[in-house]
Amino acid sequence: MKRILTGLFTAVVVFSSMVSAQEPQAGAPANLEKTPWLKGVQISPYPVDISPVIPLKIYSENGEAIPATLTEDVPLTVVADTTIFEDAPPAEYKGQQIPNPRWEENPAISWFFIDWEKNKNYMASVSEPLAANQMVIIPTTPTGKGAITCHIARRMRYDLPEPGRSKGTFANSSGAKDVRVLDITPPLCGLEISVENGGSGACWPVENPPDKYPLPKQADIYLSGPLFNAQEQDILLQGIELGNNMVVAADQGALHVSANDKLLVKVIGSDNYKLDNSKLKFGLCNGAGGEPAPVGPVNADMIDLSKLKLPEALHLYLDATDVAGNRQVMFIPVIVK
Amino acid sequence: MKKFTGFLMVVAILFSFAVMITAEEAADEAASTTTDVSASPEAAPIPDNTDMTLGMSENKNVMPANFRGGDPDSSLVHCLEDVYYEKQEHSLIYKENAGELAEGAKFESDPNITWDTKVKDADGNWKTLSSANTNMAADGGKFFAPGEYQIGNSGARQVGGSSGADNEAVGEGTDPTNEAGGAGNTDTALVGEDGKTEADAKTVTAQQSMGVQVHDVTSPDLWVAFQEGAGTVDMAATEQELKGKMMEKIISNLGRPFSTNAEDYEEASYMFVDEGADGERDKEPFEKIARLSVAGALFNERGAPKFETKAIESKTLDEENMTRQVHVSGGEKSALKGVFVRRNVPFIFAAMAVDNGDLRAKAGEVACRIEKADGTEVEKDGNSYLFRVPNFPRDSYEDQPEYFFVAKGSDKAGNLTTIRTPLYVVNTQAAFEGGRNQ
Repeated sequence: MKRILTGLFTAVVVFSSMVSAQEPQAGAPANLEKTPWLKGVQISPYPVDISPVIPLKIYSENGEAIPATLTEDVPLTVVADTTIFEDAPPAEYKGQQIPNPRWEENPAISWFFIDWEKNKNYMASVSEPLAANQMVIIPTTPTGKGAITCHIARRMRYDLPEPGRSKGTFANSSGAKDVRVLDITPPLCGLEISVENGGSGACWPVENPPDKYPLPKQADIYLSGPLFNAQEQDILLQGIELGNNMVVAADQGALHVSANDKLLVKVIGSDNYKLDNSKLKFGLCNGAGGEPAPVGPVNADMIDLSKLKLPEALHLYLDATDVAGNRQVMFIPVIVK
Repeated sequence: MKKFTGFLMVVAILFSFAVMITAEEAADEAASTTTDVSASPEAAPIPDNTDMTLGMSENKNVMPANFRGGDPDSSLVHCLEDVYYEKQEHSLIYKENAGELAEGAKFESDPNITWDTKVKDADGNWKTLSSANTNMAADGGKFFAPGEYQIGNSGARQVGGSSGADNEAVGEGTDPTNEAGGAGNTDTALVGEDGKTEADAKTVTAQQSMGVQVHDVTSPDLWVAFQEGAGTVDMAATEQELKGKMMEKIISNLGRPFSTNAEDYEEASYMFVDEGADGERDKEPFEKIARLSVAGALFNERGAPKFETKAIESKTLDEENMTRQVHVSGGEKSALKGVFVRRNVPFIFAAMAVDNGDLRAKAGEVACRIEKADGTEVEKDGNSYLFRVPNFPRDSYEDQPEYFFVAKGSDKAGNLTTIRTPLYVVNTQAAFEGGRNQ
């Protein structure tokens, strides 16, 4: 008898565990220190009602695979391959039959580009008409870890067991294509110059138009401050090609200093991805254009003009390269009183 | 008996195996919809996407499923305009551990979370109203206009297999824009070198949507215009012209008075009842007000042109259906004393309404009339209204009937804007503007 009871007890325990294993678990309360994004969330991650998730793959417009590396600012037409666009929703999900499934609405579609390095996404949109499953992605931010994602929801309905009753729900389809985005924009660095016990000035480029493609990239150069004779209003030089030969002519603007000045020089600005700081150079040079011919110390915070033999075509230069190899070299004329 | 006991034990053991197998299958199914078939045989396959749940947080203003005749099986969530709601979502990709996605899987980033609000256009396509990359699984906000919305949550997270456990987690990375000119940068994460991401992690997505029916709890904006005529003016044509002007102006001004300058109301006098100025609109239902503005010469017994405005109450009309009514009751103690017309001067009137239910895109004519105290309608005299005997001041003309101007505008939801105000016939001759009563 004891054995019978033991057997029955074992069977009951096992049966109970079987039942509970089949039920979705609400899960333990979230640890908000480790999952702060769950603040305010009380619902379970396990759906109770039918809401089918449909596979989705992202391809290039021509049906080919999307390359693992995209190029910044280059548009790419992508296509979502999913049965959510078909005539009827799935009739089965996770082994559960969905009786008489039918769509109720058109699909609602969102495309994003996620920059995982910043955990930030950019919504893609186009104004020109495209097929419902297409989108033009323009990755404007270089990243070593990115993803194109597509999320589609479509309202559907299916019959309930009770005659005449039906229930509304959503079918969802989403997918991602992991990519990286190659930086093709040169750095946008400038210089801040001040004279010991004197005035100051700054020169810097601004990409304009932003995200221009095809190349070359263009920029406007701003000169500001008394050392550039731009105390009241900045000097704006438009339409300069952004790259390794950004030359400002003397009649456009120049740094005005005295032969005995001590210049304090500081780099300002940045790259749209990452600067290669080992290649950053700035200082004075002879002439403009091509490879800078330094005059005096390179990358010095302070330049004492009285200790230098100054050439006639004295220029301030900045030579910056990003980790992708894009280079910016800018030359600003220096007029010594 | 021993054989029976043994049989039970065998059954129990078989059950145990069955449970283990079932539980494993259930876990796999719960985690995955589509799996990456290219994963190595050793590594557990990581799904491409997974389930997500989405719903409104507890709120007394989330209406029942059958609200205003709604279909309880539609799964639509019924909400009220201008009320703050919080919504929440959850998915396996938001959990602390990735083990439920695939055995040995590890999260390589924080989740990327975006809340979309979409609205249906005239072609039945869903257009994005807003898209907020909050990276939070709960979000709050208001719906400022009635209509059918679709709230979507798009989630993604980098997931790696067990081989990616030592990879640097992203989402906490340095901001590359902060590195300009800095010395000692040792970051070696080169872009575009080999076309592979550092951790070989893949982006797993999840998506869920919720249909939200946002109900109109704002009374329509109502305009009434009165215009006098004289001599041989064709009053029927004048009435059509007046209606045309009103229709154009009420839409272009989104129900607000088209001018606050009394001099702009010499041609016709206007009564405006609307949701109010910018700071007064879109208040929560129980705090809603409306604004009555009167402009022109017909709203005081002296006939002096004026523009006056005052906030008025918006009351609950039907508690169950959450409809509201703005009622303007004219009289001595009201913001609107009455409408004062001159005897022997023909006049016409017209009323138009716009509603926030269609974003004030269309204007509709509103039923309005002059009636006696017993509700009997006063008919036009030809193409216009004309009173030959004064009834104001009332104590001088007690034997004359009282007249009331009434108008009633309603929207599809049943919200009302109503006016019932005395209409006085003043014994005034020609110099109405000068305030010289006879």
